Amino acid sequence: MKHSNLRNGWVGGIVNIFLILLGLTGLAGTLLQGWLGLPSPAFGVWVSLLGVVVWSAARATKASGTQSWREALAGGALSGLLSGGIVGLLVGLLATLDAGSVEIRQWLVQLTPEAIALLTFGVAPWLATLLVAGVHALAGLLGSALYFAAITYQWQASVKGVLQDAGHSISQTQVYQRIAGHPSATTFAYAAGAILLLTAPLYLGRYWNYTLGTVGLYVILGLGLNIVVGMAGQLVLGYGAFFAIGAYTVALLTAPTPHGIMMNFWLVVPIGVILAALSGVVLGLPVLRMRGDYLAIVTLGFGEIIRILLKSDALIEFTGGPRGVRAVGGPSLFGIKMNNEFYFTYFIIIGIILAAYITAQLQKSRVGRAWMAIRGDEDVAEAMGIMTLKYKLLAFAIAAGLAGLSGVLFASRNKFTGPEDFTLLVSINVLSLVIIGGMGSIPGVIMGALILKGLPEILRELSDYRMLAFGALLVLMMILRPEGMWPSTRQKMELHGDEEKAETSEHTEPARGVA
Amino acid sequence: MAMLELHDVHTFYGNIHALKGLSLTVDAGEIVTLIGANGAGKSTTLRTISGLQRPRMGKVIFEGADISRVPASEIVRKGIVQVPEGRRIFATLTVRENLEMGAYTRDDKDEIAATMAHVFELFPRLKERIKQTGGTLSGGEQQMLAVGRALMARPRLLLMDEPSMGLAPILVEEIFSIIQEISREGVTILLVEQNAHVALSLAHRGYVLGTGKITLQGSVEALANNPQVRAAYLGGV
Repeated sequence: MKHSNLRNGWVGGIVNIFLILLGLTGLAGTLLQGWLGLPSPAFGVWVSLLGVVVWSAARATKASGTQSWREALAGGALSGLLSGGIVGLLVGLLATLDAGSVEIRQWLVQLTPEAIALLTFGVAPWLATLLVAGVHALAGLLGSALYFAAITYQWQASVKGVLQDAGHSISQTQVYQRIAGHPSATTFAYAAGAILLLTAPLYLGRYWNYTLGTVGLYVILGLGLNIVVGMAGQLVLGYGAFFAIGAYTVALLTAPTPHGIMMNFWLVVPIGVILAALSGVVLGLPVLRMRGDYLAIVTLGFGEIIRILLKSDALIEFTGGPRGVRAVGGPSLFGIKMNNEFYFTYFIIIGIILAAYITAQLQKSRVGRAWMAIRGDEDVAEAMGIMTLKYKLLAFAIAAGLAGLSGVLFASRNKFTGPEDFTLLVSINVLSLVIIGGMGSIPGVIMGALILKGLPEILRELSDYRMLAFGALLVLMMILRPEGMWPSTRQKMELHGDEEKAETSEHTEPARGVA
Repeated sequence: MAMLELHDVHTFYGNIHALKGLSLTVDAGEIVTLIGANGAGKSTTLRTISGLQRPRMGKVIFEGADISRVPASEIVRKGIVQVPEGRRIFATLTVRENLEMGAYTRDDKDEIAATMAHVFELFPRLKERIKQTGGTLSGGEQQMLAVGRALMARPRLLLMDEPSMGLAPILVEEIFSIIQEISREGVTILLVEQNAHVALSLAHRGYVLGTGKITLQGSVEALANNPQVRAAYLGGV
């Protein structure tokens, strides 16, 4: 009867209630029903609810540090019973209300009579309460038993051992050794990867080409913003504005209305990139003298101003106003029209490679070192002979240019663009993906884009909860991996430097440095 | 002719009049110290010389040329390098990278390597920690790194802002003996200190800064015997 059992029971129960009230269990039910081809969503509902209980009972057993089977099981059952009691009361209450023909949906949209029936096993409310409590107690028992068995019989170690043995025996086989030992093995692996990447658009179909293309556009945006935020350390919020400038450049120069210029796409690409980069310099000159929060707020304002200008009736003759620009031109080569998702996937891949190459080269160069110094301490960078304004402007211009490139591809691929494509959410998404992926890291940006723009597509059914899941993910990330999913080694050192410091520093006086 | 001259310099932070007509001179090869209370304008003086802060009036003359309107990055190239207050080393960069950053204005690879070897002679502790990040160093080691980083730019005039701050007495002694060695190697030093005791024992000449103005000046012996200085900065001993 440890304190930890009670606490985990409570937490398990409350998490369960949260899941039920928000209808997330119902969601898990329908998802699993669809994926596994089950006849009813009940399985998914109960798996998600009891999963929480199993998990929290296992945690409770771990926290209690008990050595005996009896204590572990009793504790697990107790925590299960406690959460079951709480949830059971709620289920009983819901069932009673529902039976009394109260419209619960008035307050909680997700709780349809069908959803409630799934929770009550279709029996009388009081019986349902008892049943829920009982099922939870069993789940708690299961959780603690699983955890206890795992530590007692050292499952973790044996699983590891099996995997290692398997890996070892594979690496010992002749075939493996001949392949891996061959001098061109790595080249071959890269070539295979490249071929896979290059042929992917061929068999992916329209929908996935479109989705992955969107992810790719965000990768380009992320790589650009990463230069400013991750490498030069300047917090910029209205980055979407440069994306908009690229998109509108191609739209206004290639569409039949409002101007009817109808220029060649390939000519417009550099124009869009240069215009965006120039606007970066023009904005940067006055703004980059500011630091930190001020810079963030001013750039945020700039982003909104661009969107509102594009939308305004005053400029309707020039920008097409709130309705946007239709029939944006696409590329063609040797008379082949290339304006579909399929070709654009390739263009976007080329854009990513270009952006990643530029970023990687800059990172290694003198410019990259100047950015690193500015990020560390602007005053000191200046005092060491680095022209901080020049390098900040350069970072800004390159980032804006890449956003312009992404914007050109975006508008041309969609054959349409309008002011609502460039809401603040675009800027926030890009910033989030840079942070989630790991600031300053190229693979991190790619990973962040996949998670932020790709995952919601895979979990289409989650769409209503996208923002909820998104927020929860961000909070979790910042707690568990503040350095990002795939951080640069430097970023890792920065955030876990304390542990290192404790081990290596032998002096007791406080170490004063600049983070 | 003096290496560095400040003529009636006025520096403002917004509306705050921080330096109110400050004048001083530093001759080549000297160690000159600037002592004064908190907020007297010691750091502002250094920032004005190194170009991080522009004077509103007055002249800063280095080797005969007015540098009061020259950007900070250019002043470093002229040979004036600052060791900032509170060390401010790059916590996420390694010791080696910090030092390399100090040589940003130079591009002669071999000579940079030679300077680094020299810095390691002065501070053997830094060599032991060459791969550690700046943030993991102790306070004393960080101060050594800050000095080493400044030396990497091959200064002819080194501006040092409170190198003793927050250090144990034994480390203060170590740092100051190295400052003397740097001076013997021909680097001119302008040293700002609150620890007047140590500063006056090491320098050739000194200035006492009131609020934004020089109130006393002279040889360190004269200053150390001055009753006002004794009362205000040497604990009345």
